[in-house]
Amino acid sequence: MYTATKVTIIALALLTAGAVAAQAQNNASINVSAAVQQPIVVLAGNNLTFGPVFPGVPKAITLASVGAGRFDVTGQASAPVSMTFVVPANLTFGANNLPIASWVGSWNGVNDPAGSGFTPSAGATAATFSGTGSLFVFVGATVTPSVSQVAGAYVGTVQMTVTY
Amino acid sequence: MRAPLTILSLVCAATLPLAGQQTSVTGVRPLSFGTVFPGVASVVSRTDPANSGQFDLKGHPGGTASLTFLLPAVMTGPAGATLPLVFGGSDGGFSASQSINNQVAFDPRTPYLATFVANRASVFLGGTADPSAGQRAGNYTGTVTLTVVFF
Repeated sequence: MYTATKVTIIALALLTAGAVAAQAQNNASINVSAAVQQPIVVLAGNNLTFGPVFPGVPKAITLASVGAGRFDVTGQASAPVSMTFVVPANLTFGANNLPIASWVGSWNGVNDPAGSGFTPSAGATAATFSGTGSLFVFVGATVTPSVSQVAGAYVGTVQMTVTY
Repeated sequence: MRAPLTILSLVCAATLPLAGQQTSVTGVRPLSFGTVFPGVASVVSRTDPANSGQFDLKGHPGGTASLTFLLPAVMTGPAGATLPLVFGGSDGGFSASQSINNQVAFDPRTPYLATFVANRASVFLGGTADPSAGQRAGNYTGTVTLTVVFF
């Protein structure tokens, strides 16, 4: 009887050991990685400037004009981007409006307006950074003052958004 | 005396198979988001054969295992910059056949009880990297750990 009890205890111990062995814990790890490209930076390079405008005489600023607007953009070399614009329908001077329309634009990897043409007011435009991560965007338009246009300094804002 | 020895022999025979089987988990493939652009979220599916994370498990046919991930909230990059990571409710996948095309989705954010059919299985992991528009350029890394308790 004494021997049987001892054997039973040994058997229970073995069972417990077996149960522990049957529940095994393991772990392993893997890496997570990403290569983040250069963020986009947009600067106002040049204001779109019409200079003196006479009542009843429309005035256009072409892309090659000194008064053309220009945005200077930097980002990831050779990466494609999307450009969108918010352009005003009028320049304003107090409560007075000066209509502005016939928007023209071009983009280039170098500071030269003789690049790829597009219409800023027509929605999203695809462009590509140069091999050094540069992008220059030129903007022109036409103002149409009425014959009775109130004299003054009219201003407006052109907003460009560039996204990957 | 003979009877107790017989009992002891039977007990040993019952416990040895469980104790003798090997279990393991091995990291096979990193979770890779590759090239990421600032402001553009990048999603890797758990069924992506090239970029999803993968662990291979060795267990008991018919056995079960508890899978628990330790998931980083961010990856760390240049000058200590961080890149947020998001794991969704179905970004984890368990395949009893080790096939990426035959997974059972699960939430990697909570423990999951998996059942083995054969003695090998795989766990796949997808996720989303969510860089800000001004995210600092450079290489970002993190670590995902899978703890498996085999029953």
